[in-house]
Amino acid sequence: MSAAINIIDKVPFFGGMFRVESNELNPVNAWPSLIAMTSFIWFAIAAILGISMPAIQFLDLGSNWYYQNITLHGAAMAFPFAFQLMAAMSLHRAGACLGKRADDIFVSLFYIFMNVGALLLTVAVLLGFHVTYTVMFPLPVVGVMTGQWSMFTLVLGFTGIALVLTSMIFIYPIKILRMSFFERTDSTLQVAERSMKDPGMIGMVMGVLVLLVAGTPLMLVAGSLLLHLYGIFPAAWIGWAANPIVFEFVFYIFAHNLMEAMAIMIIGAVYSTLPLCTADGSRKLYSDKIAILALWILLITSVTSFFHHFFTMYPALPSTFAYHGNIMSFATGIGGALTIFTILATIWKHGIIPTPALFLILGGFVMYILDGVSAIIISNVAWNFKLHGTMWAGGHAMVVLIAISALWMGVLYYHYPLMTNRTIDDSTARSCIKYFFISYIGLFYTFLAAGAAGMPRRNGAWESDWYIFGVFMLIFGVMLLYAFVLYFLSLRRSKALDY
Amino acid sequence: MIEFLYTNAWGAFIVLLMFQIPFLIVFFHIVNKKAFTDSAPSKTKPEKYSAYRYGWTVLVLVAFVVVNGASIKYMPTVVEANAATDKNVKDVEVTAVSWAFQFSENEFNVGETVRFKAKSTDTVHSFALHHPDGHLLFTMMLIPGAGSESALVHTFTEPGEYTVRCLEYCGIAHHAMKNTFTVN
Repeated sequence: MSAAINIIDKVPFFGGMFRVESNELNPVNAWPSLIAMTSFIWFAIAAILGISMPAIQFLDLGSNWYYQNITLHGAAMAFPFAFQLMAAMSLHRAGACLGKRADDIFVSLFYIFMNVGALLLTVAVLLGFHVTYTVMFPLPVVGVMTGQWSMFTLVLGFTGIALVLTSMIFIYPIKILRMSFFERTDSTLQVAERSMKDPGMIGMVMGVLVLLVAGTPLMLVAGSLLLHLYGIFPAAWIGWAANPIVFEFVFYIFAHNLMEAMAIMIIGAVYSTLPLCTADGSRKLYSDKIAILALWILLITSVTSFFHHFFTMYPALPSTFAYHGNIMSFATGIGGALTIFTILATIWKHGIIPTPALFLILGGFVMYILDGVSAIIISNVAWNFKLHGTMWAGGHAMVVLIAISALWMGVLYYHYPLMTNRTIDDSTARSCIKYFFISYIGLFYTFLAAGAAGMPRRNGAWESDWYIFGVFMLIFGVMLLYAFVLYFLSLRRSKALDY
Repeated sequence: MIEFLYTNAWGAFIVLLMFQIPFLIVFFHIVNKKAFTDSAPSKTKPEKYSAYRYGWTVLVLVAFVVVNGASIKYMPTVVEANAATDKNVKDVEVTAVSWAFQFSENEFNVGETVRFKAKSTDTVHSFALHHPDGHLLFTMMLIPGAGSESALVHTFTEPGEYTVRCLEYCGIAHHAMKNTFTVN
């Protein structure tokens, strides 16, 4: 029996959601199930921390707690939850569509690096390493020099981050590329055959290439700094990497494109799943060519739109780069517009079967587009100077992760019978989708309105004028947590497939 | 109206809704109709899809060009570039250090145009100027070693107490990094 199945069986509550039968499809099902289960454990921790943040402000429990929780919440949501869930589902999809094993050394290394790294970072943060998930270099070093946290926590935290980044930038992309182009096909694992010409598979490959290309410079810089912290590289060797401008730029080239890669990959997953739910049984998109064109536009325009993170550095960031970032950010909207057209034209042309899986995917897609509009608005140079650093920016980062997660959770609903030989509880799933969407809309507009009103993000001492936004964040945050509980229950209450 | 849209963050919120509301109406109409009312294959002719596709793409392109084109005049980078040779602009040096701002001057008059030139000496900070009613007038990101200071001009049109805050997380007392100054 697979080690992954053993682990799943031993985990209380979450294990019951992902119990996998031992059969010939284990090489495709077992590890993706374990990875997905683990991502939801991280979510549960992250969600409680998220809800605690407004509560800490209302109860005046201290800014240090707030900064600890915001660091853990952001890091857990972005990496071991959202990214890990995406990895689980894409490994399962690649395995079942291409007939490739998803249980080799690359998969287990990804799992170990991601989760051990996230655990080390968690310990460092609990010991005082409060840097937020965007690191804000050179703050980690300045924090040691000014006595905010110790050198030990810095080394521990950076080691954790390095492990997480290695899993995301190297191990996972290399595994997906191997599955897509190199590994031997095993026809007994190929449950739903797809070729590499399929828009869904193209989106997946584009996504991992973005991670590999945009992430490698960050790994070189962060790796050099880490080797210096270990005492292996002398200071003279890493002066270039310790320059804050170098670090900030390579960090945002990766961080920005990480979100874009996840978006491209999930759009690929929508292109794969939507045709399977057409009412007329045609199993076709409106146009594969337009779908692929949209992916290419998203890929090309998103890469250099990262400049929008630095508009407000003017004139240190030359205005030509600012205008380029502005244009490219809006150009991603053209790719988005073509995607919207492809999806709506497919629905209009073929009709759809209103399953919970499809509705969570479509709901996630709506959330993703709404968030995309907020992203391009803040990427206009004129508005960016009035919104950067406010809750608008914080809200955008948060809701894009919620949207992407909702999409993958919908894909998981679709894959669930294959993974576990069980079918989800339909009525609980439908309730989950309602609460999910309402809480998303509530959180989204609360954060954006708070940003428009000038409320700063990542601020440990809210002023009284901002409390009203905090109340709504708490209400909708609790509602979102309830939606997730319903999601878990819809899996826990699943029934064996009746053949 | 256009000036409000681009000079106030609530203007961004209004434009956001102008994009989102039509999308939501169309999306939910199509999904509702084809999932619950009439899920049969559509009888729409293929050439109509092409017409809609081109129309939709052109509509989005035009909307994006108009929204960005109209914003050029209000971009702080453009305003600052236009004021580069204006001798009536008062230069104010600002130094940000964890967790305080140091100003070369901190009292101004209504009608005065001020160029804030800000830099950080330790970690990443920002210089964010908030109107007395709370909304953000502008923010500048300050990265140590950036090569040159961040600089923007602002003309004060209303008297009151303005607040400067750091909006880039800079450590455990980040929230305390704020200052006020008066415009008479």
